[in-house]
Amino acid sequence: MKDPREIILKPHISERTMDLINENNSYTFQVALKATKVEIKKAVEQIFGVKVVKVTTHRMPGKEKSMGVHRGFTPKWKKAVVRLAEGDSIEIYEGM
Amino acid sequence: MKVEMEKLEGNQIRLDIEVEKEKVDDALEKAYRKVVREVKIPGFRKGKVPRKVLEARLGEEVLYQDAIEILVPPVLGEALQEKEIEPIDQPTLEDIHFQKGEPAKLQVLVEVEPEVGLGKYTGLEVEKQEVSIEQKDVDEVLEQYREQQAALVSSDREEVRDGDFVVIDFEGFLDGEPFEGGKGEDYTLGIGTKTFIPGFEEQLVGAKVGEEKEIQVTFPEDYQEESLAGKEVTFKVQVKEIKERELPPLDDELAQTVGEYENLEELKKEIEENMRQRAVNETQARFENEVLEAIAQDVKVDIPEKLVEQRMDDMFKEADANIQQKGIKLEDYLKMTGVSKEDWMEENRPYAEKQVRNRLIIDAIAEKEGFNVSDEEIEDKMDEIVGESEHDPAQFKTILKAQGYDKMLEKDMLREKVLNFLWEKNKKQTEGEKEEDRE
Repeated sequence: MKDPREIILKPHISERTMDLINENNSYTFQVALKATKVEIKKAVEQIFGVKVVKVTTHRMPGKEKSMGVHRGFTPKWKKAVVRLAEGDSIEIYEGM
Repeated sequence: MKVEMEKLEGNQIRLDIEVEKEKVDDALEKAYRKVVREVKIPGFRKGKVPRKVLEARLGEEVLYQDAIEILVPPVLGEALQEKEIEPIDQPTLEDIHFQKGEPAKLQVLVEVEPEVGLGKYTGLEVEKQEVSIEQKDVDEVLEQYREQQAALVSSDREEVRDGDFVVIDFEGFLDGEPFEGGKGEDYTLGIGTKTFIPGFEEQLVGAKVGEEKEIQVTFPEDYQEESLAGKEVTFKVQVKEIKERELPPLDDELAQTVGEYENLEELKKEIEENMRQRAVNETQARFENEVLEAIAQDVKVDIPEKLVEQRMDDMFKEADANIQQKGIKLEDYLKMTGVSKEDWMEENRPYAEKQVRNRLIIDAIAEKEGFNVSDEEIEDKMDEIVGESEHDPAQFKTILKAQGYDKMLEKDMLREKVLNFLWEKNKKQTEGEKEEDRE
């Protein structure tokens, strides 16, 4: 298996994801574009030592940006929302 | 909260304060609420960043400074109150231990009023001057009133005398040519008032009404019009009329014109009363000065620089307020006279030092003799003052209190008490009083 830290890139923190933590015990990460749900589940369990109940993934489109006359896109990326078993939790920044 | 106090050299006190950790956390929470409004972190709208995220992103320390600012002032105030310390300057925070979840420890230096080593302050035998108003002085004032009310009256004398007022036409010639500004008609000139250049008025003495007279005068060397300075010129002068100053008679009518007096008696009484009041004030002031000077000979005290500076500042403000009534700022005035504010301060330093010293002495005596001013006394005095004004008494009183006027009153009244005490204890006794004492 690949190094789990190559699959889980960084936590995605915003007002919405803070709410998800509080309401669903779900933590949101930016993950490798090619990572699968199963890989993500295993990686999270390995890194944080928690039990994962459910993973949903989303492919996020890059945003169009322009710099003067040059146009381009920011990179595409994959977002994964990971639901943990009841009672488990992750200190968001730890080890990331 | 635990406070320990230690007295140091130079009128300073060191306070060691320990604050419970609950208060520390409370201050941190308040600091967070303040900081969060300004912090921008990606993913969050301004002001919506949770405390955890904020601390993780920027470090707990970002909150410390604000938390300390929030925590220290009330704690300090409480500590000062507990130990009954009255600082004369902003206390300085020497050292602080501040950590989340731990009691905070602070060390503060406070400068306080110096202790006054009082020496002898009774029985100093300061001469007390008797107040007496002489009839002569009252007459002098009355005479001044008469002169103020004097009117010019046409005289039927033919010849000009010193002290007269003459109505003249005049024209001046320089080398036979009229010069600018040398002409005037129906001008009223007081002989002997030195309004015109020297020699002019003197030469008019003895001139007759209707007569045209030529006068030779030399302009002074420093005359402002340069083309004329030092030049000898001729004036043709015609005296048209002679007027005399007539003083009004000293009667009830004069009293009525001068002010709102019914008759002359009343005016006289008022003048006498004013003079007596002034004399009493002067005697009082002189006595205060002398007695404090005498006491100061025997007093040990370090006058703190800070108090002197404050006093000088106040003096500057007072002087400024005074001069602003004349429509200029003291600062501008000093600029015009080429004196800097610092020079002015230095010049007044001795007075400021003396005032500070006197106040310290008075306070020390008040404490030693156990004088104090009760709240009722202040209230009474306030009522008295408020009663004299036209404003709504209750409202006015609230305003005065809000401005700290009652505190000022308290100080004034205490000072007065001490001075009265000093007056009683230090006046030089006359022979008669000494006799009484022996009995």
